[in-house]
Amino acid sequence: MINFHGVAKEYENQTAVRDITFSIEKGEMVFLTGPSGSGKTTLLRLIYLAERPDSGSIAIAGQDVSELKESGIPLVRRHIGVVFQDFRLLDNRNVFENIALALRIRGAAEREIKSRVFDALKTVNLRHKADSWPRKLSGGEQQRIVIARAMVSDPTVLLADEPTGNLDPDTAESVVRTFKDIHAKGTTIVIATHNRDLYRNSGKRVLRLEAGMLISQEVC
Amino acid sequence: MPAFYAFTLASQSLRKDKWINLLSMLTIFAGLFILSIIFFIFYNIEAATRNLPEKFSMVVYLEDNFPRERLDQVISSIRARKAVSSVKFVSREDAFKELRSTLKNSQYVLEGLEENPLPDSLIVKLKNTAMGAESVRQLAEEVSRTSGISEVDYGEKFLATLHNVKAGMKITGIILTVVLCTGIVFVCYSTVKILFFRRNEEIETFKLLGATKGFIRAPFIIEGAAIGAAGGLAGLAAVFLLYHVIVVRLAVSAPIFNTLLFPSGAFMLLPLIGMFLGISGAAIALGRLRY
Repeated sequence: MINFHGVAKEYENQTAVRDITFSIEKGEMVFLTGPSGSGKTTLLRLIYLAERPDSGSIAIAGQDVSELKESGIPLVRRHIGVVFQDFRLLDNRNVFENIALALRIRGAAEREIKSRVFDALKTVNLRHKADSWPRKLSGGEQQRIVIARAMVSDPTVLLADEPTGNLDPDTAESVVRTFKDIHAKGTTIVIATHNRDLYRNSGKRVLRLEAGMLISQEVC
Repeated sequence: MPAFYAFTLASQSLRKDKWINLLSMLTIFAGLFILSIIFFIFYNIEAATRNLPEKFSMVVYLEDNFPRERLDQVISSIRARKAVSSVKFVSREDAFKELRSTLKNSQYVLEGLEENPLPDSLIVKLKNTAMGAESVRQLAEEVSRTSGISEVDYGEKFLATLHNVKAGMKITGIILTVVLCTGIVFVCYSTVKILFFRRNEEIETFKLLGATKGFIRAPFIIEGAAIGAAGGLAGLAAVFLLYHVIVVRLAVSAPIFNTLLFPSGAFMLLPLIGMFLGISGAAIALGRLRY
């Protein structure tokens, strides 16, 4: 599903990632881990094409996206759901509209939008917050809303950047449960985290990064 | 549904940034209003002078001994020219009669005249389309070269002045229209640019969620169109108000205002012109922005 081959990326002469090669199978759930600044976020940004590699190649669902034209990027992104580290919830829209946005961009019909948004909210146990404003929600609730937005369009790949970063252990556990439920439906999931509790004894593959290099891949 | 959603986003933005939008709309209104007044003035000047050339005629004086049998031939040859609308023969007797009737209150002027001093003449009416000073001068020269013709008289200075005034008006009108339209486009361009920067974060999120450029651009184009159309509508209302409240009332005390023409059909296009200029400004802004 996701193939990196010799990928490198620099920001103003500072190496973000280098010589990264790995593959993620369709329907797999993978954790990306490593200390802060190790390149986890850059790796995710390379997958959802917010960054382009300086060298190497990236293929998603068999399509080489490294040299993809700008006009083709939105179409690739529509198959990828992203849980951003900084949430990226729009304060001038309520919860329903924030989640619906992902479907509106895809041109979904109003009736479909309504049913899918409420389904997504149900999955993250926040159906009753549909009319709330993001600012009025707790960090955990915001996090779950972002997950609902990422999954509402049934993406082939779901990426999450530090999805439990600011959450208490109980909320973090519920978020992880949500990811497992989504994964159980066959979605490929990549979670970047430095929270070991998240992947310990998960039976999932963990890719470990350090100083921009992939130093190990093992099942925990 | 994206088209409908683009309208929703545009209307949200129009409400959210209402002061910027209102300011732009007022600026566009002012521009279009000034443009309308200029058009109104030029339209009336053009209408007032449009029929002058038709009333204008060239007088061709025939020599004293001009043989009458050649008259038809000369009339036909003048009438055959493109610029000529009609040719009428005025005998010296008819001319003298007309002179008498013109001077009926000042008959003493004609006292002492032993014989009719007026020559036979041809009154040549010109076509409206051929009223350039140069073309009339050329025609007069050609006609004067015909044998048997002593003199050709036409209002050379009047024609040249009329021609120059009209040409000057046309150039001034074009320059003012271009300047004002460019100003309006620039206002829309700047407004859309400001709105774009204000919504930068939102646009970034749209992009990351898979929005195409079209999806991002559409609300701004609609906004530009709405601001332009609103400015045009306000301009239309102001022009109608100006005419019906001020000009029509002034006509009561100053009848000259009654002669003014109000091209309402042309003014009805103001919202469309505003919309077009608004869309142009928005499109230029979006074309120049990197996103």
